Amino acid sequence: MERVTSWIARLVFVFLYLPIAALIVYSFNSSEVSYRFDGLSFRWYAELFRDQMLLESLRTSAIVGVIAALLATVIGFLTAFGLVRFRVKGRGFFLGAILIPLIVPEIVLGVALLTVFSTVGVPTGLFTLVLGHVVITLPLATLVLMGAMSSLDPSLSEAATDLGASPWMTFRRVLFPLLRPSILAAFMLSFTTSFSNIVISTFTSGVGTTTLPLRIYSSLKTGLTPELNALGTILVVLTLGVILIVGVSQMRRILAGPRP
Amino acid sequence: MTTPTAPSGRRRSIPNLTGYVMLLPAVAVIVLLVIVPLTVIARDSFAISDPLGGNLGGFTFDNYGKLFDPVYAKTLGYSLGMAALNAAVCTVVGYIVAYYIANRPAKTQPVLLVLVIIPFLTDFLVRTFAWITLLGSGGPFITLLKLFGVEATSFVPSQAAVTLSLLYAFLPVAIFPIYASMRAIDPSLREAAADLGAGWWQTHARVFVPLSAPGLASSVMLTFVPTLGVFVIPVLLGGGKDPLVGNLIVTLFTEFRNEPLGAALSMVVLVLMLASVAGAGLLLRAAGRRNARAARNGKEGTA
Repeated sequence: MERVTSWIARLVFVFLYLPIAALIVYSFNSSEVSYRFDGLSFRWYAELFRDQMLLESLRTSAIVGVIAALLATVIGFLTAFGLVRFRVKGRGFFLGAILIPLIVPEIVLGVALLTVFSTVGVPTGLFTLVLGHVVITLPLATLVLMGAMSSLDPSLSEAATDLGASPWMTFRRVLFPLLRPSILAAFMLSFTTSFSNIVISTFTSGVGTTTLPLRIYSSLKTGLTPELNALGTILVVLTLGVILIVGVSQMRRILAGPRP
Repeated sequence: MTTPTAPSGRRRSIPNLTGYVMLLPAVAVIVLLVIVPLTVIARDSFAISDPLGGNLGGFTFDNYGKLFDPVYAKTLGYSLGMAALNAAVCTVVGYIVAYYIANRPAKTQPVLLVLVIIPFLTDFLVRTFAWITLLGSGGPFITLLKLFGVEATSFVPSQAAVTLSLLYAFLPVAIFPIYASMRAIDPSLREAAADLGAGWWQTHARVFVPLSAPGLASSVMLTFVPTLGVFVIPVLLGGGKDPLVGNLIVTLFTEFRNEPLGAALSMVVLVLMLASVAGAGLLLRAAGRRNARAARNGKEGTA
């Protein structure tokens, strides 16, 4: 039986990569139609960079992603620092509150935000997109940074204090350098989450601020083009880049918890 | 390292406001952008709507009543079924994969985990339309079937494509928490179970499933209700024929502009999610008590 389940597990890994493999192979197909393979070409990649609408939405997604990820990382850092390194009454309550967006289904959060924005009279656009993306990335950034901060050896900052460093010096010279990889991880994961978000964006984007996923979605409704396969392949490669930057061991700690 | 370092006693003994001030921005985000909006749609879900779906205020249960109309009830029922199926398959397959990974040598585990992380972090839409390439007309799957003499043109749109794509979208989310709790299980328990004569089935039913209960509960929680809210997959791979609750919510808010009804439907999804979180919590507490009792009994037995 163990052999059977092992084989199932191996097949699942094949299952995880079949669509990605098809995507990559077909992105190099020079043929206009997917049912004929005419040979290798970079034609669709070149086509991609001529698509003004697509590039425009790429720009929107990049701007929203960077701002939202920066905000989430900064606010998440403050939150994690406050919760881990200060004596805060009702710590569990605060932590629970900050994790609410992870529990509320995204679509509910999306319509709730849309309702409030339209009630208050805030026009949808870059601003509302950023706000929506901060909400969903903040818990993520906070958790990543809390994990990193609680695994720091407290004697390090005590040693710095004993050696006469001011709290600010201790932070700048000891804590910050130690936390830098995790800060980068929090930023990268927040950016990736924002960049690929479609649910929140559906309700918070406005005219002229179509994000890349929204653009892809609307063009998919009329049919899949080889150009989109090329775009998908680039996004897969970028995902690999993010994983490399964050680092495998850190990624593992974030998704599968600390070493038991 | 013999002096017990009073956990940073000096630092923590300063009961200053700095800690609270640091929490302020996050609290502001949660209150203004989560609590207030959710309260507003909770209120809207009881509002009276005019024939065009406009919000007239007031108080009524009509919106919830309307959800029992055959049109909506059918979608709700179908969605709950699909979500339950997806959560069950994700959790069972996730368990098998997590067990497999956790029992590889320490060096291979991170590699296998990265293999799960890559599709997980890949853009959701890319992961979805990759299935169109794979199963659509002229795709590798159709070509393969033709080699075996099976005549087929395209599997997109189809119910099968929707089901597969939902599984594909949520499987990694199920694997991670199960793996996390599986990794914490002492590997010698497997040998102990085998030494005591437990077969494969018994070892899993009595040892691994109970001990990985937290991961299994998280897996169900993270796949069941979230599946209800998906709207991209039914459109792209199902041709929009069998909408999920997510599609209904999007339509009610962006096309019909019937906010009160959309709000009521959203509240149903939210309450289901809260119920599943609470359910998982109760289940875990019961499991924790049982494990503690078992440990105590075990100790008494050896004493």
